[in-house]
Amino acid sequence: MKKINSACIIDDDQIFVYGTKRIMKDSSFCDTIYVFENGLDAITALKKMTVAGIELPRLIFLDLNMPIMDGWEFLEDFQKIPSKIREKVTIYIISSSIDPRDLERVKEYGVVSDYILKPVTPKDLKNLIEETE
Amino acid sequence: MNTLLTDCFITDSPIEMGVFDLDMNFILCSKLWIENINADHIGVIGKSYYDIFPTTSLKIKEAHNRCLKDDLKIFEKEWFILPDGSAQCLNWKINSWKNNKGEIGGLIIVKEDITGKEIEEKYRLKAQEVAKIGGWEVNLITNKVYWTKITKEIHHTPENYMPTLEDGINFYKEGYHREEIFTHISEAISNGTPWNEDFIIITVDGKEKWVKVIGKAEFVDGKATKLTGTFQDIDAEKRAEINYKETLERFNLAARSARIGVWDYDVVKKKLNCDDNMYYLFELDKRNYSNDFEAWKSVIYTEDKERVIYDMLASLNHGKEFNTEYRIQTGNGEIKYIKSIAQVQYDSDGILTKVIGANWDITDHRNTELRLLKNKESFTGVFDNSSVGMALVGIDGKWLKINNSLSSSLGYSSKELMKLTFQDITHPDDLVTDLNLLQELIAEKRDGYQIEKRYYHKKGHIVYVIISVTKVTKIDGSTSHFITQIVDITSRKQAENKLKAVLKITEEQNNSLTNFTHIVSHNLRSHSTNLSMLTGFLTTEKDEEEKINLMRMLSDSTESLDETIVHLNEVVNVKLNVIDKLENVNVLHTFNNVKKSVIALMKDNIVTINCNIPEAHYVSAVPAYLDSILLNLLTNSIRYSSPTRLPVIHIETKRVKDEIVLTFRDNGLGIDLNKHKEKMFGMYKTFHKHKDSKGIGLFITKGQIEAMNGKINVSSIVNVGTTFTLYFKTN
Repeated sequence: MKKINSACIIDDDQIFVYGTKRIMKDSSFCDTIYVFENGLDAITALKKMTVAGIELPRLIFLDLNMPIMDGWEFLEDFQKIPSKIREKVTIYIISSSIDPRDLERVKEYGVVSDYILKPVTPKDLKNLIEETE
Repeated sequence: MNTLLTDCFITDSPIEMGVFDLDMNFILCSKLWIENINADHIGVIGKSYYDIFPTTSLKIKEAHNRCLKDDLKIFEKEWFILPDGSAQCLNWKINSWKNNKGEIGGLIIVKEDITGKEIEEKYRLKAQEVAKIGGWEVNLITNKVYWTKITKEIHHTPENYMPTLEDGINFYKEGYHREEIFTHISEAISNGTPWNEDFIIITVDGKEKWVKVIGKAEFVDGKATKLTGTFQDIDAEKRAEINYKETLERFNLAARSARIGVWDYDVVKKKLNCDDNMYYLFELDKRNYSNDFEAWKSVIYTEDKERVIYDMLASLNHGKEFNTEYRIQTGNGEIKYIKSIAQVQYDSDGILTKVIGANWDITDHRNTELRLLKNKESFTGVFDNSSVGMALVGIDGKWLKINNSLSSSLGYSSKELMKLTFQDITHPDDLVTDLNLLQELIAEKRDGYQIEKRYYHKKGHIVYVIISVTKVTKIDGSTSHFITQIVDITSRKQAENKLKAVLKITEEQNNSLTNFTHIVSHNLRSHSTNLSMLTGFLTTEKDEEEKINLMRMLSDSTESLDETIVHLNEVVNVKLNVIDKLENVNVLHTFNNVKKSVIALMKDNIVTINCNIPEAHYVSAVPAYLDSILLNLLTNSIRYSSPTRLPVIHIETKRVKDEIVLTFRDNGLGIDLNKHKEKMFGMYKTFHKHKDSKGIGLFITKGQIEAMNGKINVSSIVNVGTTFTLYFKTN
């Protein structure tokens, strides 16, 4: 599998983060994995990265239900980052929710590529890499 | 001639006469003449006429002389004023007599006193003049026509006008009148039939004039020689007569067509006469009744009979006028209403002579009147007793009439409401719509309208109504007033609002149930995927250390699954119906107990509590819920207290109407409500990094308070504090 430079997981579920990171490492998905446990931590860090001129992660795995700032709020703020800077970033919603209202709402955000139901499998990752290219 | 006989003839003549010689000396004289002048008839013989009658006028003297000279016969009329002042008219007939030689020997004078005749003639002429009666004469031999002055005046011809017979006939109006006069003249000439007829002539100046013409023919030896007659102007009388006839005709026609029956009662002869219209009106056959009074009596409706006959007799006997109404019952049982008016007539001496009456059928009028009354009565009945509010409203918006239903639904007495206009009691937001529609009504753009609007009750609350406004127009088409019907739909509106509220709650509950289902699904799925993922790793993991790590995570995961299920149970419990479990709970006691249960936590965090809950405040609540709510608020305040301030909590209750309002205020971290307002009471929504944040406390608190028919609001300023306001029902 061809590696991407960096990916980002935003989720408060530590067990999910552990599992996903492990799968990503097993499949040599990327070099760097950023993890944030809520939207606020994530957006703060991403903004800092843009200021510092560090390249944003190519892939973001975003949970919806999180304390402090949930996935939706993150998306709102993320869209405010100049599109030139974030144009290479692909966001995937990773959620346990099968609520059709959530699925509909995701479509409103152009920055989101797809909606993946937990858990994330190695096969999912493989597809993602192919799509990213 | 025997002289003696002649002498006797003259002397004893019954007329006044005398015979004179050339010197006007009496030769003979009738006794009558001489006695009339108180003289001896023998004594005057040989004496001069002028000695005996010294007052003889010159005119007569001249007449004598002329006769003596020229052998004439002279008639002279002479008026005298006698010593007693009366007038005398004498007619002198003077002629000469001749002797044997044929020479004039003297005069014979006959004196006639024609005073009476003359006066009669004078009066006749005068009368003719006054009565505008002229004379006329046609000499059929010479064909000459003579008209007197008046006849000429009637024709408007000049005084010197000399008509021919043809001219005379041509004055008659062409056609009937001219033909008639011609016929009469012919008849008179051939058969001697006189005539007395009225004709129209056309005067010289072209005016039509009625004249009465009387004429007859005079015959000599069976041959008509003369037509004479009178000619009278009767225009004014004739026209008056014609006018009267026409008027009478018109009146009869009118009476006939209006079916006005006319009767008159001759007081002197004591006889009642009814005209044919009366019988027609009463639908009676005149032949069946001996007299009109019987006929009239027979037809009057039983109930009215006594009264009407009394009135009638009073009128007939005492000359009392009357104006009344009564009913009659015709042969086929039909009831008719009759209007009857009677007037009395007096002669020139003021004696009652006649009572004249008119009767006519007013059944239609009466029926219409009755129907109108009935309509009016039924309208009034409907108006007064309707359960719908009704009002008659003037163009200026003032009530003209209102019913009880309206005033009572607005809380006023009729008297109070009458002083107000509908504008006064209409909700200001509804007034413009109403007034605009009313204007359209007045401008004839519509005939009526119906709107839902709000009035203010006397007590100040809103009364919801549906009003229907209908325009009432006058005969000339302009707007008279409005009829407004007002249906009070307040109870309906309240029920509707209640229903809406119930619907809203149902919707909310349905929403929260959907949310809950998804939350359950989400949470359970998270745990199950984690568990399956961890067990997956565990089966393939070779590193022992990592295996221990995975086992620990597996244990955590099952624990949090357990926790989740506990939460869900709590949520499910809240949603159950609790209305029958409500009790009167003392707020202060409950709060004190809650405080005790977290006394350690409060000590650790050095919490100050300002409690202002009156001992007397009870709320309708499930005790366990109230415990849970107060505990949750208290622990939240401590948990999310500011790191830079010691926590201070204010709690107080107030009674507002039938509710207890509990205010819970802290000086903690606060929440940005601009961002989080909608999620504030949501499940699994957390806003602060805290190890115990589960996002379940406020969700359950809201659920509990709503289950008890209360509500909860929040206001908050970041880093200043948060205030929760809770509304509890009381019993």
